Amino acid sequence: MSQQLKDRLSKWGLGIWFGIFLVFLYGPILVMLVLSLQDSSGGSTFPARGLISGYWYSYLGNSASAALRTAAGVSVVLAIIVGLIASALALSLIMAYRRMSRRAARAFLYLILLSLMTPGILLSLGMSLWWKLLGLNVALYPAGLGVQVAWALPFGFLVMLAIFNRYDIAVEEAARDLGASAVQTFTRITLPIIWGGVFGAALFGFTLSWNEFERTLLVSPTATLPLEIYGELTSATLQPNLYALGVITTFGTILLVFLMLIIVALLVRRTARAQAAALAEDSVEAVAAMPALEGA
Amino acid sequence: MTGEEPPRETLSSERELPGGIAVSDATAAEIYGEEVPAARAAKTAPGASKLVTFLWALPGTVWLILFLVAPVIVVLVVSFFTGTITGFSKTWTTDNYTTIFSSTSQYLDTLGKVARNAAIVTVVCLLIGYPVAYFLAVKVKKVQYSFALFIIALAPFFTSTLIRVESWIPTMGEHGAVNEILTKIGLINHPLSILLFSDFAVSVALVQLLVLFMVTPIFFQLAALDQSAIEAARDLGASGWKVFLHVTLPLTRAGIMIGSVFVFVLAMGDFGTYRLIGGGKVGSIGVNISNLVSLLQYPQAAAQAAVLVVAMVIGVVLLLRFAKLEQGF
Repeated sequence: MSQQLKDRLSKWGLGIWFGIFLVFLYGPILVMLVLSLQDSSGGSTFPARGLISGYWYSYLGNSASAALRTAAGVSVVLAIIVGLIASALALSLIMAYRRMSRRAARAFLYLILLSLMTPGILLSLGMSLWWKLLGLNVALYPAGLGVQVAWALPFGFLVMLAIFNRYDIAVEEAARDLGASAVQTFTRITLPIIWGGVFGAALFGFTLSWNEFERTLLVSPTATLPLEIYGELTSATLQPNLYALGVITTFGTILLVFLMLIIVALLVRRTARAQAAALAEDSVEAVAAMPALEGA
Repeated sequence: MTGEEPPRETLSSERELPGGIAVSDATAAEIYGEEVPAARAAKTAPGASKLVTFLWALPGTVWLILFLVAPVIVVLVVSFFTGTITGFSKTWTTDNYTTIFSSTSQYLDTLGKVARNAAIVTVVCLLIGYPVAYFLAVKVKKVQYSFALFIIALAPFFTSTLIRVESWIPTMGEHGAVNEILTKIGLINHPLSILLFSDFAVSVALVQLLVLFMVTPIFFQLAALDQSAIEAARDLGASGWKVFLHVTLPLTRAGIMIGSVFVFVLAMGDFGTYRLIGGGKVGSIGVNISNLVSLLQYPQAAAQAAVLVVAMVIGVVLLLRFAKLEQGF
C-alpha cells in the first residue's frame, strides 16, 4: 500500500471514530429532545407518544412547575453574582501570577488544581462542617456562593492565562517608561487588551454556577435549579417536563459557550495584532500615539 | 505567602500549563531584555513591587483559603471528632477510622470497587479519547477546523452533569433508546437490564462525562507537537505505526498522564452519577458520604472522605510512577 493511501485510510478511519464519538456525546441529549416533544400522554421512556408537541414545554409554565421556576430564578441571580466575582478574582490572581517568582507561581497552579480535583461532595461536606465549627448556619449566601466561586475561579484563571500567553508585557513597560502611573497602565493599557478574558471568565462562572450541583448540595437549604432537579429526580416520578428543561438548559449552555469561545478567539487574535503593531520597530511612537495616554 | 517571594528578575520567562503547553511570556521583551529591566528598576522600588503582587494575589487567595482549603482541612479534623446523635462533639477519637477498617464494614469493598471502576474508566477514556485527539490535532490540517471540531466536542462538558446523567435514563433504561434499537434490529430478544442501575451503566456514563478531561490535554499537546520530529522519522523510513509508537506517543506522555489523573480522581470521587445511574443500588464513597450526612453522622462521613482522598493520592502516585512522569518532563 502506498503511503498516501495509508494516510487517507487512517484519516477516514479516525474521522469515523470521531463521528461515533460525537454520537456518544450528543446521543443522550437527542434522546431527551425527542422525548420532550411528546404530548400529554407521553412518559419518561420509549415508545414516544404524540410527537411532535410543545406540551411539556408549556407544562414548565403552569403551576405544577412552580418550584422549578422559583429555583431557576434563584439560580440566575446566583450565577450572575458568581460570574462577576469569579472574573474579578481571576483577573486579580492572574495579575499577581505574572509578577510572581516561578516557585510561587507553581504553588498557585497547585491551588488551582486542588479546586479542579477535589470531589464535589467532599467539598460540600467540608464546607458545611467548617461553617458548623464557626457556629454559622449554612445558606446559599455566602457558603453556597463561596464554593461555587472557588469552583469557577480555576476556569476563569485558565482563560485569562490563554489570553496573557499572547500578551506582551513590553507594552506595559513602554507605557511605564513614558510616564504612565501603575493605575493608568492597568486601566488604559492592560484592561482594554484583556477585557475579553474578563468577559470569558464571567461567562464561564455563570455557566458553571448555573449547572453546579454536588458542591452546593450540602450547603444550601435554598433550592437552586440543579438541586430542585435532583430532588425531583430522586423523589418524584420522572416526567418529560424535566427533559424539556434539560433540553432548554443544555442548548442554552452550548449557545453561551460558543458565544464565549468565539469572543475569546477573536480577542486572542486582536491582542496579538494590537501588540504586533505596538511592538513594531517604532514601538515607542506607536504607544505614545495611543490616545489613552494623552493625559499621562 | 506570595508577597514574600522575590519579583521576577527578568522580563522573559517560560512556564508550563497543565497540558504541557509551554508559555512564552515575552518574546519581544527578549529583544529589549537588556535595557527594560534596568529602566524599571530605576523607577520602582523592589519593596513596592512586592507589595503590589501581594495585593493582587490577596482577594483570590483569601477566597480559595476560605472556601476550598479550609473545608478540606476541616474534613480531616472532624474525622477525628466523636460522633453524637445530633452531629459531633469536639473530643478526639480514632473510632471513626476503626469503624471503617473493621471486618464488618463494607467500606473497603466499596472503595476497592470504586477504584477498580475508576481505573477501567480511565483506560477506556484513553482508548476512546486518544484517537479523537489525534484526529483533531494531527489529521485535520486546517487549524480553524480542528479547533471548531474540538469546541463542538467540548461544548457538552459545560452543560449540567445532572442533566447529562438524567439523559442516560431514557437512553439506557429498560425501555430506553438503546434497548429499543437493539430489539428492533433483532440483536437481542429481551431488553438488557444491565444498561441502567448497575456498575456497568455507571462506568459507561462516567466515560461519557469525563472523556473530555482526557481529550483536552492530549489535544493541546498534539497540537503543539513539533511535526519535524515526525517527518524526520518518516524520512528515515519508519512505518506509520513505528512513528506513532516511538515518536508521537512518548512525546504526548505528559498529556496522557494529566488526562488520566483527572479522569481517575473525578471518577473515584463521583457522587451524582453513582446515585442517579446506580439508582440507589450501586454504592460509592460519594453516595456513602451523602447517606451518612442525612443521618447526621458527620465524623464518620468525614473519615470516609479522608480515606477516599488518601486512596486517591495513592492511586495518582501509582499512576505517575507507572508512567515515569519524571522522565516525561
